[in-house]
Amino acid sequence: MMDELELLKKDWQKKDVAHPKLSYNDIYSMLWKKSSSIVKWIFVISILEFALPHLLYLLPSTRNNLNIFGSTGFDNYFIGFSVFYYLVVFYFIYQFYSRYKEITVLDNAKNLMSKIIKTRTTVKNYIIFSLAMILVTVLLFMLGIYLNNDFSNLISEMGDNVKKMSPEKLKHTLIIAIGILGVVMTVIMGTVYFLLYGLLLRKLNRNYQELKKLEI
Amino acid sequence: MSKDLEHAFVTELENNQNIVHKVCTLYTNDREAHNDLFQEITIQLWKAYPKFRGDAKFSTWMYRVALNTAITLYRKSKKRVQTIDYESVIFKIQADEYDATEEQQLKLMYKAVKQLNDIDKALVFLYLEDKDYTEIAETLGISEVNARVKMNRIKGKLRTILNP
Repeated sequence: MMDELELLKKDWQKKDVAHPKLSYNDIYSMLWKKSSSIVKWIFVISILEFALPHLLYLLPSTRNNLNIFGSTGFDNYFIGFSVFYYLVVFYFIYQFYSRYKEITVLDNAKNLMSKIIKTRTTVKNYIIFSLAMILVTVLLFMLGIYLNNDFSNLISEMGDNVKKMSPEKLKHTLIIAIGILGVVMTVIMGTVYFLLYGLLLRKLNRNYQELKKLEI
Repeated sequence: MSKDLEHAFVTELENNQNIVHKVCTLYTNDREAHNDLFQEITIQLWKAYPKFRGDAKFSTWMYRVALNTAITLYRKSKKRVQTIDYESVIFKIQADEYDATEEQQLKLMYKAVKQLNDIDKALVFLYLEDKDYTEIAETLGISEVNARVKMNRIKGKLRTILNP
């Protein structure tokens, strides 16, 4: 075997790859092409993840829904909750950015992989936090509706069938519906996210495990 | 960035492109993927080039960036057509230089190396490029002892592939 590998080595160093040599212009034009590295993908996806929940808030329907707290005296809690939420989000963005900046292709393979994984872990924690917040918001909604006695304006916007229901029954139906919707949404978002990253980082994780195995 | 920098970089890469081609050959199975990986390595080299500025040989520095891109950063392109026997056309087999058995042996060896996993390929690549274990260890971020142990295991693996 040793001999064969030595033979291969001699051959390897002697030969050029049977690939057409690229010209100066070929290489020059490549400098301006877009990178499709996983680091870039992680960056793009993460920015979307940080931005998406806030874009959602800009939709009029979401904002109107949040107004339900106006008449329940939940205002202060809601502001407190928002302050806490944004503090945590900014902490995640800061941590993500500083870890992202540390990634350099000049590192050795193992460090490079571990830094990418760390950056990704920040985003993963952010996602878990966001999903938890969605559930808390849903819970607050349910509580808000439960404590809200003024349903007349809500009912007037709904169809005839709904009007026939007793306010009590309507309230419970609404609470249960929001609860189910919230949980289903959270589960779907979580699944999509973990599948997406799982696929994106499958190769990296495999290679990182391979390198780590060596250190044991 | 200045025109001078662009010119210096492209000239260096043009002269050393064989290293990148060899990495692409090891890590891809068809010409399209080869070109795709070559392009990604070029982009990564270019992005890192301002930090290079001649503290090492250009080629030495290329090994690390090229391997990092192949092992870690590169995402395989979606359009994946499995081509049948790319291995046989990868390297110019110069028939007159070798006797038939040696050539056959080499072909089998190349084929066996292509079957290794990404990390093993990186070790074999650096070994074939005549890098010492210190450099192999530094490039991959493992200890020198582990690099040696790993290389011995790879030799064993190749043996199993060649003589099942």
